[in-house]
Parts: sequence; structure tokens; C-alpha cells
Amino acid sequence: MSESSQNLPGTPLSEKDFQDGLILHSYDEMQARYAWDTGTAIGSYLAALKEGFLLGGRCSTCRRTVIPPRVVCEWCFRPMDEYVPLQDTGTVNTYSLCYVTWDVQRIREPEIPAVIEIDGASPLHGILHKLGEVDPQQVRIGMRVRAVWKEPAERQGAITDILYFKPIEEA
Amino acid sequence: MVLLERDPNAPGEWVDDLPVTNRYTFGLAGERFFRVIKEEARILGTHCTRCDRTYVPAAAFCERCLSELTEWVDVGTTGAVETFTLLYVNADGTFREKPQVVAFVRLGDGGLIHFLAEVDPESVAIGMMVEAVFKEPGERLGSIHDIRYFKPMG
Repeated sequence: MSESSQNLPGTPLSEKDFQDGLILHSYDEMQARYAWDTGTAIGSYLAALKEGFLLGGRCSTCRRTVIPPRVVCEWCFRPMDEYVPLQDTGTVNTYSLCYVTWDVQRIREPEIPAVIEIDGASPLHGILHKLGEVDPQQVRIGMRVRAVWKEPAERQGAITDILYFKPIEEA
Repeated sequence: MVLLERDPNAPGEWVDDLPVTNRYTFGLAGERFFRVIKEEARILGTHCTRCDRTYVPAAAFCERCLSELTEWVDVGTTGAVETFTLLYVNADGTFREKPQVVAFVRLGDGGLIHFLAEVDPESVAIGMMVEAVFKEPGERLGSIHDIRYFKPMG
């Protein structure tokens, strides 16, 4: 308990109060199981991830290639024309050094979520993923990165079939 | 070509589980309310002198005049059925042969929603007097389930 929070109104509780049975409480686990229909385009995208490549969608009217693919172009509202296999390389568009996990645990080595513009997609089109095998202090916007994939047998048709993106060693 | 055909190799659906847990503390008045249920098998309310109302479950503040409530009163463990319902479906959606009876039992100027048992569902009526059946002291955890159910007064 920090000193400033001691001075606030209310009843401060510590984890030990719960362990020692000083505070009555109810604990519950919600049954939050769900099934989400992947749809036509995202289904194909996930199937491509299992195969080991990134799939985009192209609208020939707008001459745009987007990733993940969609069935309808968001600019002209026409159906998209085709799927386009893309490279698994790209450029860091933005990133963050995150010292807190998804379930709010502090970590010493940050996770590095980043938006990566994928090569072959139109400018500013990319996906959100993580960076790895990199010194957090060396990450820069514009950095060139490549996907590190799981072994084919371990891939299940999920965005986590890519473990992370790592910097491309420039020759 | 338009992208209307589903890829037969694609996963049709994404199935997952959200790990959502919660821990709820009962607040200042709720803490004492459940502590007394757990340790003494008694049901307490708080009384507002200004409004002459007794809140059950006990509340820290009067919801009418917003006074802080410090007068604790034992409201007993018996009350009248204010309203009730017969449930033929379980929480998980499965059907029941014999209905579960859930009632609002008047205690003080409030009351508790709880199960009725040791009763023929057909004979439950509004106004029926019922009494709380507590679990054994060692089984009580400080929860509404420390009361097993209410049963008709014998």
C-alpha cells in the first residue's frame, strides 16, 4: 500500500487480508466460451497462416491491396476482386514497449506490440503483431522486419502461427 | 472473380474461452451482514430512525434520506413470502422434472431472494410464513448460501 493511497477515503484491502480470511467475498468464474464465425475473407486469411503465408485482398477499381483481406472494398463498397499472397516482411509503422502483460502482471522485459506495414500491401496497410529478437531500445519506426513462424506441424490457422517479427539483418 | 466462396480448408469458426474471474467484496454493511450470518446464524438489518425503515440486507446509508445508518437490528429468521416463482429450467438450460421454488421473503422492510424447500410447490402461496434453514457452523463461508433455503414454519 503506497503512502498516498493510505490517505484516501475508503477501506484499503490487501491480498493478505483475503488470505487471512479477514474480508468476506465471493469469487466467480464466468463461463465466457464463444464461437466466432470467421467469415469468407478472414477464414481464408487464417487458412493461409496455417500454410505459412500472409494473404491480402485486392480491389482493382481502387487499386488497393489490404491485409487482412475483406470481401467488400471499404472505399468503393464493391466486392473485392482477388486474394493476393503477400510477403512476410514489412516495415514498423508504430510500436509500443509494454511492461504490463494482458492480465496486468508487471514484467521486466517489455513486450513490443507493433503495427507492421506488410510488403505488397498498399502503403499504410498492415497488421498488429509483436516484435522479438530485438533490443527494445533499438526498435525504430521504419525498421525492416520479417515474420518468425511456428513449425508447420504446430500451426493451427491463427495469427499466433507467427511467433513475432524480428529485424531483417541488412547485408 | 469476387470473394464469395468460403475456403473449405479454412477454420469455419474460432472457438475460445475468455478467462474472466471476479472477486466481489460486500462493502462495510455487507461485510457485517454476512459475518453475522456466518458466525451467529442471525439476519441483521440497519434501521433509519428518520424514515423509520429497516433495510435488509443491511445498508450503510438510507436510500431515502441518505443518512448514515448505525443502528443494527436483528430481524429474525422468519418472514412472509412476498412473491415466488417455480423454475422448471436449470441455470445450464436443462429441464427439471420437479420445479425449484424461488421466493422473495419479507424481512424488516426489505427481504431476501432465496430458495424454498421442504414444501410441495403446488402449495406455495403469497403470505406463507417461512423460516431460514442455515448450514452447520463449520460449513458456513459468509455467503447467501450459508442459508440453505427457507421452509414453511412448522
